[in-house]
Amino acid sequence: MKVTIKNWVGVATWKWVANDDNCGICRMPFDGCCPDCKLPGDDCPLVWGQCSHCFHMHCIVKWLQSQQVNQQCPMCRQEWKFNNK
Amino acid sequence: MSLKPRKVDFNATWSSLQDTVRGVITLDHVPRTVWNDRFSDVYSLCVAHPEPLADRLYAETKQYLIDHVAKLLNKIQEGGESQLIRNYFYYWSQYSEGAGYLHKLYFYLNQQHIKTQKGSDAEILYGGSDISGAGEQMEIGELALEVWRADMIAPLGHRLVKLLLEVINQDRAQQPLTVPIEAVRGTILSFVEVQSCKKKGQLQLYQDLFEEPFLDASGEHFKRDAARLLQEKDVSLYMEKVMAKIDEELLRARKFLHFSSLPKVSQRCESHMVAEHLYFLYSECMNMVQGERKKDLSNMYSLLKSVPNAISVLVDTVLEHIKAQGLTAVSNLQGESMHIHFVENLLKVYKKYKQLIQEVFNADQNFVGALDKACSSVINHKSNGGRGPCRSPELLAKYCDTLLKKSSKGISESEVDEKLSQSIIIFKYIDDKDVFQKFYSRMLAKRLIHQQTQSMDAEEAMINRLKQACGYEFTNKLHRMFTDMSVSADLNNKFGEFLKKENIDLGITFNIHVLQAGAWPLGQTVVTPFALPQQLEKSVQMFEKFYHTSFNGRKLTWLHHLCQAELRLEYLKKPYLVTMQTFQMAILLLFENTDVLTCGEIRDTLQLSNEQFQRHASSLIDCKFLLSESEDLKSESSLRLNLEYSNKRTRFRITAAVQKETPQEVEHTMNSVEEDRKLYLQAAIVRIMKSRKVLKHNQLIQEVCAQSKVSFAPSIPMIKKCIEALIDKQYIERTPHSSEEYSYVA
Repeated sequence: MKVTIKNWVGVATWKWVANDDNCGICRMPFDGCCPDCKLPGDDCPLVWGQCSHCFHMHCIVKWLQSQQVNQQCPMCRQEWKFNNK
Repeated sequence: MSLKPRKVDFNATWSSLQDTVRGVITLDHVPRTVWNDRFSDVYSLCVAHPEPLADRLYAETKQYLIDHVAKLLNKIQEGGESQLIRNYFYYWSQYSEGAGYLHKLYFYLNQQHIKTQKGSDAEILYGGSDISGAGEQMEIGELALEVWRADMIAPLGHRLVKLLLEVINQDRAQQPLTVPIEAVRGTILSFVEVQSCKKKGQLQLYQDLFEEPFLDASGEHFKRDAARLLQEKDVSLYMEKVMAKIDEELLRARKFLHFSSLPKVSQRCESHMVAEHLYFLYSECMNMVQGERKKDLSNMYSLLKSVPNAISVLVDTVLEHIKAQGLTAVSNLQGESMHIHFVENLLKVYKKYKQLIQEVFNADQNFVGALDKACSSVINHKSNGGRGPCRSPELLAKYCDTLLKKSSKGISESEVDEKLSQSIIIFKYIDDKDVFQKFYSRMLAKRLIHQQTQSMDAEEAMINRLKQACGYEFTNKLHRMFTDMSVSADLNNKFGEFLKKENIDLGITFNIHVLQAGAWPLGQTVVTPFALPQQLEKSVQMFEKFYHTSFNGRKLTWLHHLCQAELRLEYLKKPYLVTMQTFQMAILLLFENTDVLTCGEIRDTLQLSNEQFQRHASSLIDCKFLLSESEDLKSESSLRLNLEYSNKRTRFRITAAVQKETPQEVEHTMNSVEEDRKLYLQAAIVRIMKSRKVLKHNQLIQEVCAQSKVSFAPSIPMIKKCIEALIDKQYIERTPHSSEEYSYVA
C-alpha cells in the first residue's frame, strides 16, 4: 500500500425529508420551526403518524390535547398513532 | 412687682428708659438691675391702664434712634473722606451690636404688640399683604437697622462705595491699602446686614448700591487687562495669565465681598477676557490640538467650558484631529497581517485619545462624544470617496479568527482574552454589524469543522461578548453551531457503540460532524459530484444506516469539500503523516498501482467537475506531491507521483491552500449579506405595518431605520425597493387618497 488512511473526519448536513413541504397544522415549512419555537433543529422535531402524515411535534401534541374524544390525524381522520419505526 | 396692668406715667418712665437705651445702643455699661427694671418698664408701658402706651413708646424710640443716627452721621463725616470708611465701620459695628441688645430689651413689645400686627410669614412670602405700608410697625431690632439704612446709608452710601472701589483698585494694583481690610469688608457687608431682618430681597441693597458699580468697574478693569495681555499675541501665555487672573479675582472677592458675588465676578471676568476674545483663542486651537499640547488644551478647556457654546469649536477640532489620526493609522495597510495592524492601530488611536480626553478634558461628555464620532467615521470609512466597500467588518472578523485559531504564536490565553475583549471596542463602532457577523460565522464554522479552535472557552466567551453588545438574535446562529458540535460528539460515541455491538470494523478511524443545514454558513455550495474512494464507502454506508435508524425522517448530505483525512504516505524514503482534504486524498489514492496518470483519467474516475479537479490537483502540484509536465492541466497532460518528495517535518497538513478564503468567497459573503438585508428589511416593514395599520412613508422609513440600527445602517433606496416588493406581494398597499401613505393588507 502506498497510501493508507489513518483517520477520516466526515462532514455532513441533515435536513428533514417529509412528504410535504409545510406542516399541515401551522402551515409553516418543515425547514423552519413551529410558531412557538424560535429556532428550527433538534429542539423542534418532526413526527410521523402511522397514517404517514407528518407534523411538527409541538403542533400535533397541541392538537391531540385539544381533542376530547378521539385522537385523530387532522389530515385523514384516522386514529393517530406515533410511528416509531 | 406685680404684673397687673396699672396706671403709668409715660414721661417719667420714658426718660429713665431713654437713658438706658442710650447706654445700650452705644454699648455703654448697663448694670443688670437697671436692665431688669427697664425690661419690666417696657412691659408695664405696653399693658398700661387705662390706655396701653405701646404705640407711644414705639414712636418715641424711633425718634430717639433717628436722632442718634443723625448724630453719628455727623461724627463719621468729621474725619473727612480719608477717615470715612474707618469711622463708618467703627460706628456701624457699635450700632449694629447695640441694636441687637436693644431688640432684646424691647422683647415684650416685639412679641406681644408688633408680631400680632404683622402678617404671617406665609402672607409675606406669597405677597398677600402689602408689607411696605408706611404706617407699619417693625420690631425694634429691624427698626434700628432700617433707621440706619434710611438716615445713614442713604446719604452716605455713594461716597462710601466710591471710596471702597478705590481701595479695591489699590489691592488690584498691589499697593498698600489705606484702609484696613476688616473695615472694607465690614463696610461692604453692612449693606447686607442692614437688611438681614427682611424676609425677601436681603441682598437688594447690596446689589444695587455696591455690587453693580463694583462689577461695572471690574469689567472695565478686565477689559483693559485683556487688551494689555493680548498685545503679547501668545495664546498659551494669554490663557495662563487669564486663569491666574480669574483665580486672583476670586480670592479678592472672597476677601472683600459677600459670597453671593463670587460667581458673578468670575462670570464677568470670563466674559471680558474669554468670550470677547474667542477668535483670538480659536486662532491657536488647531495648532494646539495637532501638537497635542496637553497643558494648553487643558487651559483652553477650563476657560471655554463656562462660556456658552464656546466649547464646540474646540470639540470639532479635536474630532477632526482624531479622525485624521485614525485614518492615517489604518491607511496603506497591506499584506498578510493587514487585519492585525488594522485593529491594533485603531485601538492604539482610540486608547490614546480616550486617555487624553480623560486627562485634559476631564472626560467631558462633549469630547467623549467627539471620540465616538471620530472612531465611527474612521471605522466606517469607505474608500474611493464613499463608493468602495468598507472592509472593517471583514478585517475585524479576521483578527478574531487569528486570535482564536490554533497557532504557535505563543501568546497566553489571558492575552488572547484581553485582545478579544478589546476588539469589542472596535466592533461597537461598526455600522455593518451584519457583515461582521457573516464573516465571523464563516470563520467560526471553518474553525469548528477543521478542529482549529484554540479553546472552546475562548470561543464561547467571545460569542457572549457579541451577544452582550448586540443581543440574542445576533448570535443565535453562532450558538446553534456550538450545539451541533456537542451533538456530533455524542453521535460519534453512539456510533462507536453501535459498531462494537454489530461487530463491524470500518478499517479506518472515523469521526463525523453532523450539521444542521441552515444553521451553518456553508453557502449554497452545490453538492459536487464525486465518486467516493472505496476505502471510505463502508464508513459512509454504516453511518448512514446508523443515522437513519436513530433519526426518523432526516436526510444526510455529505459535504466532501469539508471532510479531511490523515494519510500515511509509505512510498517515500520515510513515512509521512499528512492531513488533507477528501478530494486531494482521493486523487492520491488513485496512484496505488501506477506512478503516472493523465488528468482526464483522474477526473473521470472520480467524476469531479473540472473546476474542482483543477483546484485540488494544482494544490497537490504546488506542495510537490505530484509533478506536472505543463503549466495548465489539460485532459491529456499527465501527472506523475513525486517519489523524491522530502520534507523536514513528518507530520503536517496541506489543507491551508484550499481552505483559504478566496476573493470569490468574500464577494459571495457580501452578496449574501445583501440578500439577508432585504429579507430583514421586509420583515421589519411587515412587522411595523402590522402594528400601525396605516403609516406615512417618512415615518415608516424612520421606524425601519431605528429597528435595523442594531445590525446595519440601511440605505434609503434599499428600503424603498423593499416597500415596492411588498406592495407587489400584496402585504401592503398605497392608501387611495395619498401616494405617500401605506396601509397593511391583512
